[in-house]
Amino acid sequence: MDSYDASESTPRQSTSSRPEDYFIGATFLQKRLESVRKQTSFVPTPPRRKIPHCSLLQEDVDLQKVAFLLHKQWTLYSLTPLYKFSYSNLKEYSRLLNAFIVAEKQKGLAVEVGEDFNIKVIFSTLLGIKGTQRDPEAFLVQGLTLLPKLECSGTILVYCNLLGSSDPSTLAFQVAGTTGACHYSWILSKSQLPSENRESKVLWTGWFCCIFGDSLLETVSEDFTCLPLFLANGTESNTAIIGTWFQKTFDCYFSPLAINAFNLSWMAAMWTACKMDHYVATTEFLWSVPCSPQSLDISYAIHPEDAKALWDSVHKTPGEVTQEEVDLFMDCLYSHFHRHFKIHLSATRLVRVSTSVASAHTDGKIKILCHKYLIGVLAYLTELAIFQIE
Amino acid sequence: MDETVAEFIKRTILKIPMNELITILKAWDFLSENQLQTINFRQRKESVVQHLVWLCEEKQASVNDAALLDIIYTQFHQHQKIWDVFQMSKEPGEDVDLFDMKQFKNSFKKILQRALKNVTVSFRETEENAVWIRIAWGTQYTKPNQYKPTYVVYYSQTPYAFTSSRLRRNAPLLGQALTVASKHHQIVKMDLRSRYLDSLKAIVFKQYNQIFESHNSTTPLQERNLGLDVNMDSRIIHENIVEKERVQQITQETFGDYPQPQLEFAQYKLETKFKSDLNGSILAEREEPLRCLIKFSSPHLLEALKSLAPAGIADAPLSPLLTCIPNKRMNYFKIRDK
Repeated sequence: MDSYDASESTPRQSTSSRPEDYFIGATFLQKRLESVRKQTSFVPTPPRRKIPHCSLLQEDVDLQKVAFLLHKQWTLYSLTPLYKFSYSNLKEYSRLLNAFIVAEKQKGLAVEVGEDFNIKVIFSTLLGIKGTQRDPEAFLVQGLTLLPKLECSGTILVYCNLLGSSDPSTLAFQVAGTTGACHYSWILSKSQLPSENRESKVLWTGWFCCIFGDSLLETVSEDFTCLPLFLANGTESNTAIIGTWFQKTFDCYFSPLAINAFNLSWMAAMWTACKMDHYVATTEFLWSVPCSPQSLDISYAIHPEDAKALWDSVHKTPGEVTQEEVDLFMDCLYSHFHRHFKIHLSATRLVRVSTSVASAHTDGKIKILCHKYLIGVLAYLTELAIFQIE
Repeated sequence: MDETVAEFIKRTILKIPMNELITILKAWDFLSENQLQTINFRQRKESVVQHLVWLCEEKQASVNDAALLDIIYTQFHQHQKIWDVFQMSKEPGEDVDLFDMKQFKNSFKKILQRALKNVTVSFRETEENAVWIRIAWGTQYTKPNQYKPTYVVYYSQTPYAFTSSRLRRNAPLLGQALTVASKHHQIVKMDLRSRYLDSLKAIVFKQYNQIFESHNSTTPLQERNLGLDVNMDSRIIHENIVEKERVQQITQETFGDYPQPQLEFAQYKLETKFKSDLNGSILAEREEPLRCLIKFSSPHLLEALKSLAPAGIADAPLSPLLTCIPNKRMNYFKIRDK
């Protein structure tokens, strides 16, 4: 019954074939021009998509390395192409970004005393997170903080944040319990020597990737690197600072990527269609009802096996998901709900969709749970990001 | 006075917001008027608390006095806890004894102390024949933990008791103590849970439909309809107006004119087969039901449900699964095919 078994045996061939084999027959730009010429209405999303194959992750990627991408909540942004970005200058970029962050934090924005953790930023490439060979390599930016060691001796408590740089003006000290002026000099005790193997905690993570971004790659020139999808995990202020640096350095533009209800229902259908050995989470939908004066939220959780059975019964075209099937799937869920509660869910707003593969929120937050379908999930998100850029 | 008691009193007073402090202290009635007047309530909170604790120490406050203060704080902040409802029943044919509060309290306390040895039980009677019971649990070998108590509100003229749900180990013991002390035979947990004790009371004692507001007569209905005329073409209105009036009338019949009791959620566990009007062949051969868990949540659930049909989001009449919540006194349901 399952058509994926046949196609699973040939995943390698499908990744290296021409871009036209994939779901976007013509680029968005071309389609839009065509529709303008013909003066027809432009349907922004293709009527059919391929169900993500589970073994599309290229073989040279280390599962351990991408494991940290799973089970974290990422906020999505779309990013216009980066100008004159080079993968060989990553160390240089780390240095520049560190300096920028330090400068920003010293600008005197209101920061609570004691929370002035300095972030050290590291750039690295993420191998294997790509759809075709043409896609640029994904890269990762991590903000680490060096955990300070507290030394307690009698009444003196010395607290120090070290950046690993030798410039005394960037060190901040607080000496509690002693009188006298606090000045910038260093007092090092034995256990506080700045060593390289200090424990560091990841405070902020952001990664840039592009999966099947052919429509965008075709429209830009050589100087640009197209990585339209940006995912961030960490505080808003850090994201803003790092985003500002990228925008200044590479002449690009970030904008938050929101996922509307239409795309959420597509995601629900596609992720339910994915074949899974065992389910780690129930399939859950969350609707927000626009009634006044009180807000009402309806959460509809269905057992994943039952959701899959419903999908299999709706699904007619092998290997692909069509618009009609998605609509029918959602309509079945609505009618089952209506039979019991007489409430029309189609009049409400779908806010969140959560399956064993991944979960997505309309505000542009996503959490990926299954490494097998990581590329598939990212492919859809890249498509949304590209659509937002164009 | 014991260190632990002093610490407990201090932490309880620290929880109280400044604007309620004097009211609660007066309700506690442990410190006299003169003593309260010696305190300057305009200082910083830490100084006020220190002064109060010192006064309590002078007066030799005991664990029971501290527990009473805790009960009063909880009575003022009922909505911070989630309350469960228990219903007790007698054997058919048993005599209805006159309720004796003193005997109930002694019996309740004795049962718990016999079982656990280390337990603090405190009582506070309020109006409507209700008694608030606070239980701090310990074991045979450890002292009672004053910071995780359970509260029970028992209405003596009824077979209902409300408990703040934080019980795991001691639930059967509490049930037994309540049942025996109040001379009932068995106790059952109802599928009803909410933060709002008043609403739970209204639902359980069926008091919610007795609150008639005199100005809430049929005139609002007409006013609402008039609002439609202003912006729309009068020819369009007539077709809709009949339908809208029908919906309003049905909603009013189902929900009534009175303010609804306040609940925050309703949960339905569905195990029903899928039957679709759209396409009969979908899941036609499947024998197993669809297992769904549906949860409605809102700051004021019943009001929100009431507004659904007039807004056009739901059909009128609304499903009986939703409208039966106050009548059946449940907000946790398990629905199966018949």
